[in-house]
Parts: sequence; C-alpha cells; structure tokens
Amino acid sequence: MSPKLEVQQGTLALMILKTLEGLGPLHGYGIARRIEEISKNRLTLNYGTLYPALLKLEQEGFIAAEWRQSENNRRAKFYGLTAAGRKQLARETREWQQTADLIAAFFAPKREAP
Amino acid sequence: MSILGTVRGALARVRGLFTSPDRDGELREELQAHLDMATAENIRRGMDPNEARRHALIASGGLTVASEAVRDQRSLPWVESIAADIKYAFRTLRNARAYTVVVVATLALGIGANTAIFSVVRGVLLKPLPNRDGDRLLYLRQSTDGPGGDNISFSVPEVTDIRHGVPALGDIAEYSPFTFTLEQSEGSTRLSAGLVTGNFFEIMGLSPVLGRVTRPSDDGPGVPPVMVLTQEYWTTHFGADPSIVGKQVKLDGRSVTVIGVVQAAPWFPNQVDALLNMVISPHHLSAMMIQGRTHRMTEMIARLAPSATLQQARTEVASTYARMLHDHTDAYDPNAHYRVAVMPFKEALGERASFTLWLLMSAAAFVLIISAANVVNLTLMRGVRRESELVVRAALGAGVARLRRLLLVENTLLTLMGAIVGVGIALGGVRLLTTLVARYSARANEISLDYVVLGFALALAIVLALLLSFAAFIPREGTLASIVNAGFRRMAGSLTRQRLQRTLVVAQIAVSVVLLAGAGLLTRTMVQLSEVSTGLKTEQVLTVQVPLLKFSAPNGATDNASLYRAIMTADVGNKARYDEMQREIRALPGVMDVGLGSTTPLHGADAVFEVKAQDQSLAVGEAVPRASYRTADPEYFRAAGIPLLAGRAFQATDRPGGARVVILNRALAEKLFHDENPIGKQVALTGELLKFSPLSGDWRTVVGVVGNTQDGSLDAPPTPAMFSPFAQELALGGALVIRADSNADRLATAATRIVRRVVPMAAIEHVLTIAQIKDQSVAPRRLNAELVSSLGLLAVIIATVGIAGVLAFSVSTRTQEIGIRMSLGADSGRVQRMILGEGGLLVVIGLTLGMAGAFFATEVLRGLLFGVAPHDPTTFVGVALGMAAVGIGACWIPALRAARIDPAITMRSS
Repeated sequence: MSPKLEVQQGTLALMILKTLEGLGPLHGYGIARRIEEISKNRLTLNYGTLYPALLKLEQEGFIAAEWRQSENNRRAKFYGLTAAGRKQLARETREWQQTADLIAAFFAPKREAP
Repeated sequence: MSILGTVRGALARVRGLFTSPDRDGELREELQAHLDMATAENIRRGMDPNEARRHALIASGGLTVASEAVRDQRSLPWVESIAADIKYAFRTLRNARAYTVVVVATLALGIGANTAIFSVVRGVLLKPLPNRDGDRLLYLRQSTDGPGGDNISFSVPEVTDIRHGVPALGDIAEYSPFTFTLEQSEGSTRLSAGLVTGNFFEIMGLSPVLGRVTRPSDDGPGVPPVMVLTQEYWTTHFGADPSIVGKQVKLDGRSVTVIGVVQAAPWFPNQVDALLNMVISPHHLSAMMIQGRTHRMTEMIARLAPSATLQQARTEVASTYARMLHDHTDAYDPNAHYRVAVMPFKEALGERASFTLWLLMSAAAFVLIISAANVVNLTLMRGVRRESELVVRAALGAGVARLRRLLLVENTLLTLMGAIVGVGIALGGVRLLTTLVARYSARANEISLDYVVLGFALALAIVLALLLSFAAFIPREGTLASIVNAGFRRMAGSLTRQRLQRTLVVAQIAVSVVLLAGAGLLTRTMVQLSEVSTGLKTEQVLTVQVPLLKFSAPNGATDNASLYRAIMTADVGNKARYDEMQREIRALPGVMDVGLGSTTPLHGADAVFEVKAQDQSLAVGEAVPRASYRTADPEYFRAAGIPLLAGRAFQATDRPGGARVVILNRALAEKLFHDENPIGKQVALTGELLKFSPLSGDWRTVVGVVGNTQDGSLDAPPTPAMFSPFAQELALGGALVIRADSNADRLATAATRIVRRVVPMAAIEHVLTIAQIKDQSVAPRRLNAELVSSLGLLAVIIATVGIAGVLAFSVSTRTQEIGIRMSLGADSGRVQRMILGEGGLLVVIGLTLGMAGAFFATEVLRGLLFGVAPHDPTTFVGVALGMAAVGIGACWIPALRAARIDPAITMRSS
C-alpha cells in the first residue's frame, strides 16, 4: 500500500465540487468515500478536514445542504451543487489546468535553446 | 477566487456569531451518520461489529476534534473567545469592586489631567492655523535693548528695504494697530483695529465669510475708507447680522463702509475687532510715515516664496538688515543693539503660552507616571492573590498567550473606564485652562476636545493597559510543577517583585517631590508678587480712563503743520471737559482728591521717548535713556498716593506760557543724574521719534522727583517716567484718579455717570480700583501656581496611597515571620519600628532622589519666578519636611497593624 497523503490545502474544495458534479447530491460519507476511491486510497479524509470544508463551501454559497433519507434508509445530510457552485467549479478547473500545465512545463525534459 | 463567494463566506461567519448553538445537535447527528455508514461498510467487508466501529472511529480522526473544527469554521472563533474574555473580565472586576474603583479613579485623574492639558497644547501650539497654508506664514520682529524694546515694530522704509532685498519672502503685508471710537446710538465703544495694506488678507490666507475683504485697490489716498469685521466682533457686537455689509458706521467722526466679515482666525500681535485700509488715518499716508525711517508703527507679516525655505528667508533678511544698519547709521543707535527676528507665524502666536503649557504638560505627565506606578503596584498585589487562579488555569491547558490576553482584556477594560471618567474630568478642566490660556494666546478659542484629543486619551489607556499586563505575573510553561510544589504562598514573597514594588514607591516619592518643589516655587512667586508695592501709598483709589482723542483734520490735509493745529484746537476743548468732570466728581460725597493726567497709574500704555539731560554725558556704549512721557495736574500725585521724594508737585502756575517744568520719577532721575540732586537741572525730550510728535524738544527744568510705580506689570523693574503739567502740554489722552475716604469701588457708578454726561460719545475704560488692577496683574500667576499645586497635591495623595498600600501588603505577607519574631521575644514596639524603618528607608531614598531631581528641574522655572531663586532653601526644606511627614504618616498605619499581630493566632493558622 502506498503511503497515505494529507489532502493539500485548497484542493479539497475542488475535489468536493467535482465529485458533486459527477454524482449529484451526496452525504459527507459518500463524498469522502468517492474521493478516497479516486485517489486509490492514497488520500485519507478525516472528519475534521472534510466537514469544515463542506461548511465553508456552504457558507460561500457553492453548495446547499438538505436532510434526506439515505439509500439504506438512514437520515443524512446531502450536499448538492448550486448554480454559483457550478460556475465556481468551471473557474477553478480552468485555473487548476493552467497551474498544472505550468508546473508540468517546469518538470518537462530541458530543451536546449537554439 | 470568487470574490462574491468570499464575501458570502465572511458574512455567514459573522452571522454565525449570533446564531444559537442548536446547530451543534445537527452536526452531531451528521457526524454520527457518517460514522454509522463507515461502520456498516466495514462490517460488510467482514469485520466483526466492534472491530468495524473501532476502525471507523480511528479513520474519523476523532469526533470532538471534528466538531471543534466545524465550530471554528462556523463563526469567528477569535471574536467569540475575546467576547468570552470580556464577559469574564467584567465578572472578575465586579467581584473586586474596591480594586476596580481605586484603579479607575487613579487612572481617571492621571488621564484626565493629561487629556485636558493636551487639548490645550494642541489647540494653541500644535493645530494647523486656520489660515490657508498657515505653515508658510512668517512674522518679523525688530527689537532693541532697554525698556519697551522687545518689539519696536518697523517703519515703512524698513519694510520697503526688506521687501526688495529678500526674494525668499513672497510678499509682505503691513499691519498697524489703531484704536477708534465707534459711535453708536447706544453709546460709544472703543474699537481695536488694524490698518492694513490691500495684500493683507491674500498673504494671511484668510477669506471672507460675508461680503469681501480689502484688496490692493483699497490702498493709497483718494479711496473711500472701508472696514472688514472679524467674525467674533461681528457676532458679539452686531449679532451676526448679515445686512451689516454695505452699511456705514462712524469711527472717530468719520463715515466708514463695512464691506465684509472675515473668517475666524487668531490675530497677532493684538486681538482686533476690525481691519481697515490705511486711508482712514491721514497720518498713515503722510510723508512722515512713509519716509521716516525711525517712525516705527508697522508690523510685518510675510509669506514664504513658493520654493523658499525658512532658513533662506532668515539668511536673506539678516544680510538685508545688516546693509540697512550700515547705510543708515543715524537711525540705529549701535548701543541699543537693533536686531530682527524671522519666525513662523504659528510660533509667534504660541510664544507666550508655550512655556507655561509645556510646563503644565510635564507636570501632568509626572502625575500620570505616579498614578501608573500606583496601579502597577496594586495590580502586582492583586496578582499575588490571583496567582493560584492563573496557575490552575495554566494547569488546565490555557497557554501563556491565552492568559496574557485575558489579563490584557481585563486591564484594557480598567484603563478604558479610567479614560472615560478622565475625559469627563478633562471636560471641566479644559474650561478652566481656556481662561488661563486666553491671557497668553489668541488661539484659546481653538481649544476643543476633538477626535485627536480623544485619540490621545485612548492611546494613553491602551499603553497603560499593555504596561499593566506585562508587569503582571504569568505562570510559564514548564514551571508549573515547581510552583505547585512550593505552595502558592511562596510566590507572594518573590524578591524581584518586591524590589519592583519598592522601586515604584521610591519613584513616586521622587516625582512628587519634584512636582511639589515646582509648585512651592510658583506659589511663593505668586505671594511675593502680590506683596510688591505698587508705588501707590493708598489703596482707596479709583481710576477711570477717558481718552478724548478725537480731532477733525482739515479735509484731506496730511501735512504735519495742519494736523498739529487741529490737535491743538481739539486739546483746548478736551481740557475744558476734563476740568468739568474733575469738578463734578470732586463734589461727590466721600471723594478726597481728584487728579487728572494722561494715563492712570499702573497702566503702561503711553508714548516712550528718548530723554537727555544738560551737562550729563553718556558712558561709552550706553544707549540714550528712554522714558515714558505723561502729563499730570497738581492733584494727580496726591490723589494716586504717589510719594513726592524731592522738590515740589505741580502748581496752578505751571500753565501754558509759563516756564516749562517737569517731574521725574525716581527711576529716570537716577538714570539721568545718578547721585546728584536733579532739582533745578535741565532735561529735554530727544531722538528720532520726537520729530513725528507734536511735542517740543525744548529744555525743561526739573522741579520734583516722585516715587516709582509698577506700570504694566508687578514683576518688571520700574519704567523711567517723565511728567509734564497737564495744563501746560497736550493732554495726550486723559485719566481721572479719584481718592476716596473708604471703599473706592463704590464711587465707580457715580463717577461713570458724570463722565458719561460730560462726554456722551466718549469711550470709558479701566474703571478699576488699584486693588483690582493689582489683582488682574497677579491673576495669571495665581492660576498657574494653583494648577501646578493641585497637580503636586494630586501626586502626593497618590504616592501616599502607594506607600501605605505597599507596606500594608508587605506586612500581610510577612504575618508569619512577624509572629515568629514576636514569639521569640520581639515586643510590639520593636515590630512597629521595623516596619516604620522599612517604609522610612523608601521615603528617605525617594526624598533624596527627588531633591536631586528638583534641583535640576526647577532651573527651567527660572523665567517664571519672581522674588524667589530656583533653589530657594525655604521651599526645598519645606517640601522635604512636608513629604517626609506625609511619607512617615503613610507608613504608620501598616506599622501599627504589624504591631498588633498576635503571634499565637498566626502560628496556629499556618
């Protein structure tokens, strides 16, 4: 098993938004499971990291919460993307892509200047 | 980042501050659901239920930690915890009511005194002038040695030389003080005015609030006289009536148009009611005024040229002035040391007030130091009692930072309360101070408790709060065990803390001594001054000044001859009126003598001329003696109670056409004739100034010598004076001196009524008894002495509380030790002596340091003292004895308490 990583500051919000975009409204457990799966269990998300992040997104108006019955008939709080959240996701995705490209360029094999 | 999102987030968190904590239940449910789902998943993977739950819990990272993190995200945790601190601090202070009251009161006195005095310092010295670009305004002053030489102002040729020779001065405005009689149906009043050049308002940077101000087109002859009222005079005298603009008023019989009202501003060198163009005074346009280099009646106010500096202006003025002295040797007696000073206008305005104010400011600062020391001491003592609480809090996990913040919040609350009460005290104090400062500065009306002053009080409170918080003990991490092991009580006796407390007490005593010494010297000055003899033997004298200066010059005539003729004609009529007043007042019951003269005694506002004596040569380097020139009738000296020292008084035979005779005062007689008998000698007025006056330079025979009078002020050396017979010379104004058999002030109404009937349009001034004049002259000093004394007294009271408190505390922590001593045979007298000795040592050290400090500090007071040296032994010994008595007295109570300790009880209690 590969060593576990702490989730990086700032990236968690993006992961949450992306997850909700893909799967629709989800409860906290579902979000955590999904992120861990996608990271192939390299990321661990404890509650102290996940729930403040969810609250922050809710405060910023990017997600909205609602109590519903879960698939196994348990009351749970479901989070879903808002319109503002969709816009924010698009913007952040774009920004993240640019940053990633930039960093990738730095690590690419050096080419000699002609 | 989305800005909108950030804003929404911030708002939500602020909202979170006010929402109820029922959201915690919801959170708990959410976390529990998560845990359950995780557990269920683990079971599905084949774990047994207990194991599944344990794994889920481990992965969660702790439910408590999570809810804490969410709670922090929900609102603003720092605000919440500070709010908790404030609530806690309030509760603590409510429980320590005595401590709170003493600390707040002490701080309020310190902060209040400082705030009040700072508001005055700011209003009078620091605030920018209301004038546009007021920092570039300059005032020029010409001085010479000798009496009246502090500010001799400038002549028009001198102004012209400087205007042309100094490019660093953009332009120069001329200003000439002038007094008019404003004739109105409800009676005449004196109007203090300035005659100004048309560029005056432009240079001063002042704008009209109504109408217009004068401009260069108002200069010169052949223009109508116009008048600009100051806002203050307009308000007080014309009820701020806007229709005044365009109206005509009568000044000295001439019609003048009011053209506007100028914004409120400090006036210098004297307070004025109105400003006029020069044409109102034919004299100001005469050749004598414009060409006479020694005819100095003009003040110079200049504005620095756009790129010039003050230093440049000073250098250029100095070289131009040197050239003037060189080119006109006849106009500048080298022995009189003519010199010129260039200073910022703001500085000139604050000049007389600044020393007194900085003195009061430092006295107040001393009081603040003492009260801060006291509060630190109190806090230290209370700290001992609180230490156990703080140690317990530290042991329960409160960090040093958290504890410090708790203390800071508590102390800030205390100092803020002190500041609030202090500002209340300052509100009262400012009113008192304003009346004091109004005597020294034209800017007294700019004093206010504005936001800068309130900021100053707030800053004081915050600095004090920081100081208190860092003086307090905070258990440090890692030292808890040793504290707990040693038992809390050991902490109390901590040597460094006791040393700090004792140092503070010594400092308090020392600072009090310095303040007391200053207060003592100023009080003695005030007493000495009020004991100065005015030179008048009787106090039952009422004086009334009735200046009848009005004369009508032939229309448009400005040549000296016709002006003099007009003056002479008016004088004959005026004298008849004075005689009538004299006759009628003499008939009033209780009146003994009524004298007539040019001025009342003790008022030093008259003409000063150079005087020479026949057959007397000046010593090398000695300036020509100057004397104020007055007139007096045969009864004047007797009525005023001025003693005749030699020769005779004036007689009815000293009339026009008779031999010219004079009486000298003692100061002038000594100056001119040294030890010789002056009676029968010849003296004459002389000098450049005489050319511009209607008086003659003929030789006159000295027939008498009278005693000196303290004209102008009680603390200056007497001014030399020369008297001519009232009937023989121009009256030069006019004053009545009325001696009564008792209660001179009762005559005031009757005398004023007579004067009013004889000359209905004349202004009547200085209706005062000698006692009142004297009182006016001492009043500012008295107020000054009283202010410093009250600050000194405040310091002593605070310091006394300090010594008593520290000793009492020392006794209470040493109860056990004293108990042991007593059970080992020390009697109560010995214990009392021990505690007294302990306190006495502090008093002695404080006194010694304070005396040394006072020795240097009082040196700066030298200029304010009169009749007492800065190191006056009486004052110093008095202060030392007083402080020692108070100090020992303060030690007595704790010492008595120590002596009453019952060894049996203390031993049992431990």
